[in-house]
Parts: sequence; structure tokens; C-alpha cells
Amino acid sequence: MKHWIRLNALALQRTVAAMVRHPLNHGLNLLVIAIAAAFPFGFYLLLSSVAAVTAQLPVEPQISVFLKPAAGSAEIGGIKELLAQDERVANARFVAKDEALKDLQAKVGSDDLLAGLTENPLPDAFLVTTRSDASAAALDALKTELAGRPGVDEVQLDSAWAQRLERLLALGRGLLEVIVVLLAVALALITGNAIRMQILTRRDEIEVAKLIGATDAFIRRPFMYAAAVQGLIGGLLACGIVVTALYWLNPAVTELASAYGQRFALHLPGPLEIGAVCLVTTLLNLVGAWLAVWRHLRRFF
Amino acid sequence: MIQFQQVSKRYPGGFDAVKNLSFEIQTGELVFLAGHSGAGKSTLLKLIAGIEKPSSGAVLVNNQNVSRLGRKALPYVRRHLGLIFQDHKILYDRSVYDNVRLPLDIVGFDGREVKRRVLAALDKVGLSGKEKLNPVALSGGEQQRLCIARAVVHRPAILLADEPTANLDRDYAHDILELFKSFHQVGVTLVISAHDETLMADYGRRILRLKHGEFTA
Repeated sequence: MKHWIRLNALALQRTVAAMVRHPLNHGLNLLVIAIAAAFPFGFYLLLSSVAAVTAQLPVEPQISVFLKPAAGSAEIGGIKELLAQDERVANARFVAKDEALKDLQAKVGSDDLLAGLTENPLPDAFLVTTRSDASAAALDALKTELAGRPGVDEVQLDSAWAQRLERLLALGRGLLEVIVVLLAVALALITGNAIRMQILTRRDEIEVAKLIGATDAFIRRPFMYAAAVQGLIGGLLACGIVVTALYWLNPAVTELASAYGQRFALHLPGPLEIGAVCLVTTLLNLVGAWLAVWRHLRRFF
Repeated sequence: MIQFQQVSKRYPGGFDAVKNLSFEIQTGELVFLAGHSGAGKSTLLKLIAGIEKPSSGAVLVNNQNVSRLGRKALPYVRRHLGLIFQDHKILYDRSVYDNVRLPLDIVGFDGREVKRRVLAALDKVGLSGKEKLNPVALSGGEQQRLCIARAVVHRPAILLADEPTANLDRDYAHDILELFKSFHQVGVTLVISAHDETLMADYGRRILRLKHGEFTA
């Protein structure tokens, strides 16, 4: 056990010494690792920022059916009955024009609105919430059907954009998964190659050590430490790149959002996310290093 | 200590390096291995160290069948051996001291013990005061002594030397052999190969003569 600790301390010490001795080589490796990790991480933060906003949006499409001023109670009753029977509809609520005006007044918070009007300009309406599993085509069909009813002036399919955004986000998440997998493989290969280079510069030492009784673990140890240190620093660098990029982008994003009357900013990574990124880059580096050393050691007895 | 049981080694391509060899070397024995280049001396030593695997037969070292040992077990057998390679295998990217300490690092000795043993080994082979030099700065004979220091620094029970006197003049070769004799006197088992048999004659030890991979009388 004492030997084992000493062997590990020695390996780590030599790893750091080698990094300090060849700062350029190691620096370039670190940069490659950092950029490869920064891509999916930044994309992930972007997605989660947008997802946080969309979570507050109504995702179930809503259909607003506005009636003609001349629509009578017979026509209103007909539509009500139709909506109650239609299986695409989850819920339908009739909003009379007086009620709608009161709502509007409450929202605006002023009596002036009513004072300037000689009559209520709002139509009667139905607010229809459709079932969330209804397809876009079914909703369109429903919309057309409602528009063809007597007494109906206009039909609006609200929230369809929210649903599209939700689908877009799902696509983004899928894309993120693909990018993460591809870049993870790339990261392992990059490290594997970097470690292979280090192995080649030390192949004489490895051969002699093998011949005089070194175990595979002894040979592997310094390279695993090099990979772990590289992965950890690379992960931290990736977080640094992402945070810098977000700081740089955020004023523009906030301005864009405020132009739409929204308060929105890309959120910066928390300690947990930074920890996760560093852990993943370290593990991937270890995998790459292990493979590289294994490939090299295979040729020795 | 070392036992060969009908050992043959055929290299890929069909070349038979050693053929059906059977012999035994007792603990504490000093044995010379004679024969021309290509007679199978190096192969025989590599078979003992497990660097080569026999095509047939068994090689026993300390009653362990080296040829059957797996990747995990073999290193621990090699730690009982001191190897002196024909091509030296000195590492020129580090000092004499760091070359000699390698076997101790592999086992995991602590710093003070490493220093004590390395300096003792260098003193034994006559390289005291040269520990900080790069091996490039050493003469051919001194490089051979460096290899010997590295081979004995962890005090192995068996010392295998492949052509340790090649390329050395006669006087220097005798110095080296005297050095080996001193290890023999403290109980180390030695197998030393050489193509120049006249050197061995002075020592009156057992000589195994190889020709085309077989023993000759």
C-alpha cells in the first residue's frame, strides 16, 4: 500500500513536470480538448435557457372562435353543441362580449376605455382548448370546420407557434445528443492520439521498464495521470470559453428579447454543471489514454 | 534454479533459434554460454527472462514455468532477474543515476533507500562520482558498467548477461568478468554469453556451447 502510494505520487509528480517542461505541446492539446467540450456544453446551456422560457408558455393549442355580431343564440347553441361532442376538443368556454370587455377593462385598469365607446366593439367568442395529442392536421381540419359554421366570423389557432417551438426544442435536444456523442468519441480519440505521441517519445523507457519487470499498471500510470490532469484542465478551460462567450453574447440577447418586450438572458453554468463537464472530459481522457497504452503494450510480453 | 525441458524456439518464417534444449543450472552457479553469432545464445537468455516464449517445451525459473505465465505474473518473475542486454538499452534522456534507479522505481522503493542503493551499485562497478553525467559522456566500457549497475541495483538472485564483453579490449573484458565473479561469490546465479571462448577458459566454469541452436560437446 505504501509502495502503491509512492508509485502514484512519483507518477503524478513526473506528469506535472513533463507538462511544465513542454508547455506548448500540452497547451495545444488542452485547447483542442477545451474547444471540443465547449461546443456541446454551450449548446446545452443555450437550449436549457430557451427551454426555461418555453416551460411557461401554454403548449396545448388554443382555438379562438370569434362570432359575428349578428350571431343569435341558436347559432351559438349549435356551435356549443358541436364543440361539446367533438373528440378533438378538451374544453370549450363561451365568452360573451360583455364579459370580454370587462376582462379587457380589468387588464388595462381604467374606465376611460368604456367611456370613449358608444357600444361594445368585442364579439362573442369561444375559447377552445384542444387535446394535446391532436395532430396539426386535425387541428387545421377543426379550424376549417368551425370557420364554415353559420355565425362564425373568424377562427384563430393560437399557441400553434408555442407547439412549434416545443418541437424545435425537442429537435435541438436530439441534435445535442448527437453532437455530444460525436464529440465525446472525438475527444477520446484526440486524447488517445496525444497520449500515443507521448508514448512514442518514451518508447525506449517503456521497453526497458517492461524488460526489467514493470507491470502494465506501472507503465500506464503516468499516462493516465497525464490524461486526467489534461481532462480536468481541458474541462475547466471549456467552461471558461463558454462563460466568456455567454458574457459576450448576453447583452445582445437581452436587447433582442427586450425588443419583443421580454426579459430573457442566457443563463451561466452553475458549479454542478461545471463539475459535470470536468468529470466527463476527465473520464473521456482516461478512456482515450487507456486505449492508447493498451494498444502499445500489446506488443510486449 | 533454471531448468530447460526440451525447449525449442522457432521464429515466424521457420527459423529454428534453439532446438530441443534440456539442461539445468543450479542456484549459485556461474555458467558461460559460448557460440558464434546466431548460435542461439541471445534467444536462450530471452527464453529465461520470458521475453520470448518457447515454441515447445518448458522453461522453469525458481520452479515456475515462465513460458506459461500471464501478463500479470511475468513482471514479478523478472524482478528476480538482472538483465544485461547486448544492445545495452541505456536511456540517453536521463542521467547515469536515473538510469540505474529505474528497477527500484518499478518496485517502489522510497527515496532514501533508492539513493543508498544506486550509489552503492555505481560504487561497485567503479562509476562513483559519475552519477550526474549523461550516459553519452561515458566510454564504451563505462556504459557496460552502467548496464551492470542497473542490473544488480535491486539485488537479483539471477544475473543474465548477453555478450557483456563484446567490443571491449581484453583487459577491460577481464575487469568485467572479475566483477561478475564477485557477484558469483555472494551467491548470485549467473549466465553469461560470449562468442570469445578464450576469455572463459581462465575461469574454469561450466561452459554450454551452442551451435545452430543445439549443444555441442
